[in-house]
Amino acid sequence: MTTVAPETKPAFAAEHDAPIPYMQRTRDYYMTLGYHPYRWAHFAEVPFTPLPKPLGRARVALITTAAPFQPEAGDQGPGAPYNAGAKFYKVYSIPTASVPDLRISHVGYDRLHTTAEDINTYLPLARMKEAAAAGRIASLGERVHGAPTNRSHRVTLETDVPEILRLCREDRVAAAVLVPS
Amino acid sequence: MCHQTVSLVARHLEAHGIATVIMGCAKDIVEYCGVPRFLFSDFPLGNSAGRPFDVESQRQTLELALRVLESAPGARTTVQSPMRWNADAAWKLDYLDMTKLTPEKLEERRREFTEVKSIARGKREAS
Repeated sequence: MTTVAPETKPAFAAEHDAPIPYMQRTRDYYMTLGYHPYRWAHFAEVPFTPLPKPLGRARVALITTAAPFQPEAGDQGPGAPYNAGAKFYKVYSIPTASVPDLRISHVGYDRLHTTAEDINTYLPLARMKEAAAAGRIASLGERVHGAPTNRSHRVTLETDVPEILRLCREDRVAAAVLVPS
Repeated sequence: MCHQTVSLVARHLEAHGIATVIMGCAKDIVEYCGVPRFLFSDFPLGNSAGRPFDVESQRQTLELALRVLESAPGARTTVQSPMRWNADAAWKLDYLDMTKLTPEKLEERRREFTEVKSIARGKREAS
């Protein structure tokens, strides 16, 4: 006697419904264009500092990779094509009390499926001010710090990263929220 | 590149006594680098802080990140936001999709890439 397993239709998600493998896609893309694959930063060890005090008593920094708007640097508006002319190469700081005009036309965000029309999707400054007003965090650092998105790990590690640490210490923050664009 | 940059910054701050959390959309890049705390939103790149024109989504995304910041038990803690960009995940197939590139398109991209590199170089050297 043979038994035939009933046909099952498991309610699984689609196979492609998983986080996008960006490193693989980028590698394939540049290989097809004829360039060497990029060597992504990779470490076996990861540092960890427990939050030294409850968030309600902690000052928190906001760090972004968005770029200050440069009127002379071409189209930086919502959905603008990739604009290398709008890139920046030095760490910058802007008062959190202001409403800074920071754009993301200088990076490879998903131009097909989003538009960068709403700054709050890549810079949670307004939401962090609300969190401070509500006492969820004690306060926001006095400045937003901007990190250049350099292809060179060496420049990032030797120049930009120590500078951001120095600024965070000046601002006397206990913690930082970092938001790539 | 953005995700790699903030990952390198987070590691350095953390090694010097400042607790960090990254809010981001590129899970592989951040986890491959290795960071202390990461709130992952499975959204198109450019929406690390929540959906456009949706204050509630942005508020929830920040709140999740703050909870990861205060409660992660150790390094490499990733929490994925439960929010969906779209019920249909087809958008995930499109980013740098080579299968849709004709030879002409490919040549155009190659030219664009060379041009972009030279603009970036000029800008970098001037700064």
